[in-house]
Amino acid sequence: MNIIEIKSLHKTYDDDSVPVHAVNGVDLNVEEGEFTAIVGPSGSGKTTLLNIIGGLDDATKGSVTIDSTNITELSSRKLTNFRMANIGFVFQAYNLIPVLTAKENVEFIMHLQGRDKHDRESRASELLQAVGLGEMMDRRPSKLSGGQQQRVAVARALASKPKFVLADEPTANLDSKSTENLLNIMQQLNKDENITFIFSTHDQRVVNKARRVITLEDGKIINDINKELL
Amino acid sequence: MIWSIAWRNVWRSRSRSIIMIVAIAIGLFAGVFTMAFMQGAVDARIESATKTELAHLQIHAPRFLENNSSEFFITNSKQLANKIASNDSVKAASRRLIAEPFIMSAHGTGGGKLIGIEPSLEKEVTDIWEHLLAGTYLEKKGRIPPIVVGKKMATKLKLKVGTKVNVQMVDKDGDFSSKAYKVSGIYRTNNTSYDEMHLFVKFDDLKKQLGMDEDTAHEIAVLLEKGGMAPDVKPSIQKIAGGNDVQTWKELSPEMSLLTDSMDQYMYVFILIILLALCFGIINTMLMAVLERVKEIGMLMAVGMNKRRIFIMIILESVMLTLTGGVLGIIIGSGITKIFETTPIDLSMFSDGLEKYGFATLVYTSLESGTLITLTFLVILTGMVSAIYPARKALKLNPAEATRSE
Repeated sequence: MNIIEIKSLHKTYDDDSVPVHAVNGVDLNVEEGEFTAIVGPSGSGKTTLLNIIGGLDDATKGSVTIDSTNITELSSRKLTNFRMANIGFVFQAYNLIPVLTAKENVEFIMHLQGRDKHDRESRASELLQAVGLGEMMDRRPSKLSGGQQQRVAVARALASKPKFVLADEPTANLDSKSTENLLNIMQQLNKDENITFIFSTHDQRVVNKARRVITLEDGKIINDINKELL
Repeated sequence: MIWSIAWRNVWRSRSRSIIMIVAIAIGLFAGVFTMAFMQGAVDARIESATKTELAHLQIHAPRFLENNSSEFFITNSKQLANKIASNDSVKAASRRLIAEPFIMSAHGTGGGKLIGIEPSLEKEVTDIWEHLLAGTYLEKKGRIPPIVVGKKMATKLKLKVGTKVNVQMVDKDGDFSSKAYKVSGIYRTNNTSYDEMHLFVKFDDLKKQLGMDEDTAHEIAVLLEKGGMAPDVKPSIQKIAGGNDVQTWKELSPEMSLLTDSMDQYMYVFILIILLALCFGIINTMLMAVLERVKEIGMLMAVGMNKRRIFIMIILESVMLTLTGGVLGIIIGSGITKIFETTPIDLSMFSDGLEKYGFATLVYTSLESGTLITLTFLVILTGMVSAIYPARKALKLNPAEATRSE
């Protein structure tokens, strides 16, 4: 079952005299439970595509339908609520709130959703245990390593029970050990809980773990390999 | 949780926040203390005006105040004064006769307002007797009637206790009248202008000189239990006074009324100037706080924190920062003000200038709790207003760009 359907997606930046087609006619379907990597050279449109799927950027043309909702037609306010309810984000630079502890960072999104304190606390603990940070819940980000921070970010992305998680270069700032650790955790979550992950990455280690690899060049999909079908 | 984040964000850049909080605290301390000082000076002036000069209410015959003419007088004045004095809100009432004489002494001449009083009753209404520098309060010694003069006039006419003066005036029937008085006392109030212009003689002595009928008076001065009650008590006194005019001290002295009314406005303008200056500091601090957190704000937007919540978070942060400094400044300001409520600030080095306008040289600070509440609201408002620009900046961020910014 497709949870994301992208049709004839275009994104053109024409701020300068020469228009730049960051995304140029992309058609793509993503099924529930996929572990997909979007790869391509710098400037190929990976991040732009991910931003449009995540509702962080708007498309020039085309549609992105997530679970029967065409998000390109949503107002800014509705889109914000839609993101909160349906999409988890993992950023390259972790982007945790430095004044909150790991547990509070995970709880925060549930607070925005209006969930009660007990529910928030138990789910945050559960998720942090799942990413191997059960003992470090009360530490602030500054007291955690980069890999640990990114694991908190993964727990935060899952806190709202999203339909899928978008991870933009999640391993770019991590060392090999942390990368391996993080990817194993995400793979495990994907396998055990059927959580859909979509990465944009340059990292071959991520590509190796992905079950589907989509290659972009000049804003177009030039290759789409589903390893399970090979 | 947003409150908690906002509070923790205040302390994120500890030294910057502390500098801003100290600046706000100093500004508010200065504001509170200046307000208390100015209020104290005005209160003292009003106290002096009502206790020494005007009393709280005055009753006159219609048209008397137009030119202080002796032909407009209150009849049955003794009975009326007694009736007024028996009112529950009234502390004391005193009859007066008033003339505008020409005064001659061996060393010069002068004019002023001559007030005929009944000393025992007048003592209960005004406190001129407490300001005597020399002599007695109209105690007659010998056959020449006594007169009390102000220090300023005494200096001008080179008068001392025992000196004779000749007082000339036009009596009730329009005839010229001249009479000798002997200085029995010299007083000095905080108001040198008053001291220069006001002389006191006994009610009966002036009555004779003016040729007034029995039981008449030009003025009844009324001291109330509480000065602030004057406008409320006025209607009941008016009922007793019948066709005579009753006026409060504010009506009698418009310049005093203006002083009290405009003082509040001046003080708030003063505070607003302080807060406006602080406003720019807070805007700068909050702008820096927002620009340092572009990535974080972008993340908050991305994960679903709507614009309203982001706006509230930044406003809260600014209000908390401002309120911390503001409350600190208000507490220190009121604490120091409290000390000077009982220990006066000595301004005797400026006595010449101050006394000319009737201001005391010893000022006790005075601060009402209502003023502190208003100030706290103004501080909160300043925090909110200061955060609007930085918050708008934050709301204009594009989450996609902000999350990837360096």
